[in-house]
Amino acid sequence: MKIKVNPWQLLLLLSLLLSFFPLVWMVSTALKQTDQIFSDFLNPIPLPVTLEHFIHAFNSSPLHRFFLNSFVVATSVTAFQVLTSIFAAYALTQFVFKGRQALFYVIVASMLIPVLVTMLPNYLLLSKWGLLNTYFAVILPQLASGMGIFFLRQSFRTIPKALLESAEVEGATDWQKMWLIVVPAVRPMIVAIGIILFINVWNEYFWPLMVINKQNMFTIPLALQLFINSEGGTSWGPMMAVATLASIPPIVAFLLVQKHIISSFLSTGVK
Amino acid sequence: MGGLSYEPMASVPARRELEKKSEKDWVDRMKAFQKVKPFLYLAPALIPIALFIYYPLVKSLQISFLSWNMVSPNRKFVGMDNYSYLLQNREFWNSVWNTGVYTVLLLLLLLVSPFFVAYAVTRISGRVQAFYKSAIFVPTVLSLAVSSIVFLWLFNPISGSVNHLIALVGIPPVNWLSDPTWALISMVIITSWKTFGYHFILLLSGILSVPQDIVEAAKIDGVSSSMGLIRRIYVPLSSGTLLFVFVMTVVFGIQWSFVPIQMLTNGGPDQATSHLVFTVYQYAFQFFKSGLASAAAVLTFLVFSGLIVFQALVMERRVHYEN
Repeated sequence: MKIKVNPWQLLLLLSLLLSFFPLVWMVSTALKQTDQIFSDFLNPIPLPVTLEHFIHAFNSSPLHRFFLNSFVVATSVTAFQVLTSIFAAYALTQFVFKGRQALFYVIVASMLIPVLVTMLPNYLLLSKWGLLNTYFAVILPQLASGMGIFFLRQSFRTIPKALLESAEVEGATDWQKMWLIVVPAVRPMIVAIGIILFINVWNEYFWPLMVINKQNMFTIPLALQLFINSEGGTSWGPMMAVATLASIPPIVAFLLVQKHIISSFLSTGVK
Repeated sequence: MGGLSYEPMASVPARRELEKKSEKDWVDRMKAFQKVKPFLYLAPALIPIALFIYYPLVKSLQISFLSWNMVSPNRKFVGMDNYSYLLQNREFWNSVWNTGVYTVLLLLLLLVSPFFVAYAVTRISGRVQAFYKSAIFVPTVLSLAVSSIVFLWLFNPISGSVNHLIALVGIPPVNWLSDPTWALISMVIITSWKTFGYHFILLLSGILSVPQDIVEAAKIDGVSSSMGLIRRIYVPLSSGTLLFVFVMTVVFGIQWSFVPIQMLTNGGPDQATSHLVFTVYQYAFQFFKSGLASAAAVLTFLVFSGLIVFQALVMERRVHYEN
């Protein structure tokens, strides 16, 4: 008997394993009892399952406040970015005007400018406006997203011209065309892009770190750092519990629209 | 335009004249409105981008010529002093060198390996393919902060499961975060674990865009092994995507690896994990030397821009070549 091993299959299994190994360990550590964490190093199955670390995490820090902060920041940034992207993408696809291509390049190039050249002046500006340690400090610099505009422009271009022309014949204004034709036509894409943007903001660490240093304004990723510092790295249970909680919203969001997300990345059109 | 309605008793022909004029005004105004309309639609996006991305870019350049601690009103213009200080500073060159090491390792984990995994996915049947695509993408939606602290636990020298796992095959324990060499490698692993799925999908889109008839033709010509096809067909024909992912890896990979560095090593042990992005952060927010920080940021930006321009030029040429 000969078993044929496909090396490509093997490579896939390996990457699957490496992708999930840290995740499985995170969740299992969060659910294990403390003595099992420190004795049963290679068994991922918690025996018995306990929620004590989750309870401890909520009791030892204002975790609900961190979640609220993350939620406020992530939803408002997402809402603004989707809105500004819809307007910009509509202008870039439906209007013909001088400088259209140039402005598109200006927007795309803005994605590639590294945060490290913008962070210090932005920090100084927000500090001058007295906005440090407020939601505005995190939200304001992110009102528009080059990525959102880029993806929406791609999808707006797929809308058949005839559809828009017939609306024009009936005397529809641009405002009406945008909200009644263009946006409904690509709604699944807008939702997918909105979710990608939401996940990005939810996970953000770099920028909030610069402008937030008051504990009660921390977003979830910043709060994770708190668990390293104050707990001295020994309370792995609560640490993994918070990490697990922090991961639930983006994973749920991703699972809701995974097909659209994967296909929108697959069709980015970089060739 | 204004004030027309304040002339109450105009004669009939004069009024007609006025009506005509106001109609023309109205048409003119509509025309003008149509002209600015695209910009009105673009403004909500362009204003924040200009104010928080392009303006600070210029501002950074300006600060890089100053000696200033960010707080005091004394800003002294020092010309190129910050730049020449950096170029003579050993720590700066250390972080330049480390940035190079990071880049090479990141390219290995975020360009080379995801390319092979993406190719592997195209070798299997449709149903399982969809599963793998989603599954490998999952870690991408997590925060780098989560990735960092999960690996802090996995890499713990005594109770972490990685050392226990490698002990099974007889490998002695590794001090993942406190050994200078391994610490840098750990930072790369943590960053790559989170980013792998995204690059995998991008590279897959490149591979899928290779026309199947070209692959068939190559097979008829005797290129039959997978490695042969990858080398002769898939790599050259998806070079645009490869180049894009290359730039993404260098520009964003270096920036993303900031998170585990800041959270877990603070650039140590002994500056072994510090790189340019972290150096800029340290100069600015730990030592309050905004001039030096901006000069380092500007230098890093120049290197990144060079890469991006290089990518754009190569892509341009490739497009012409294809046409």
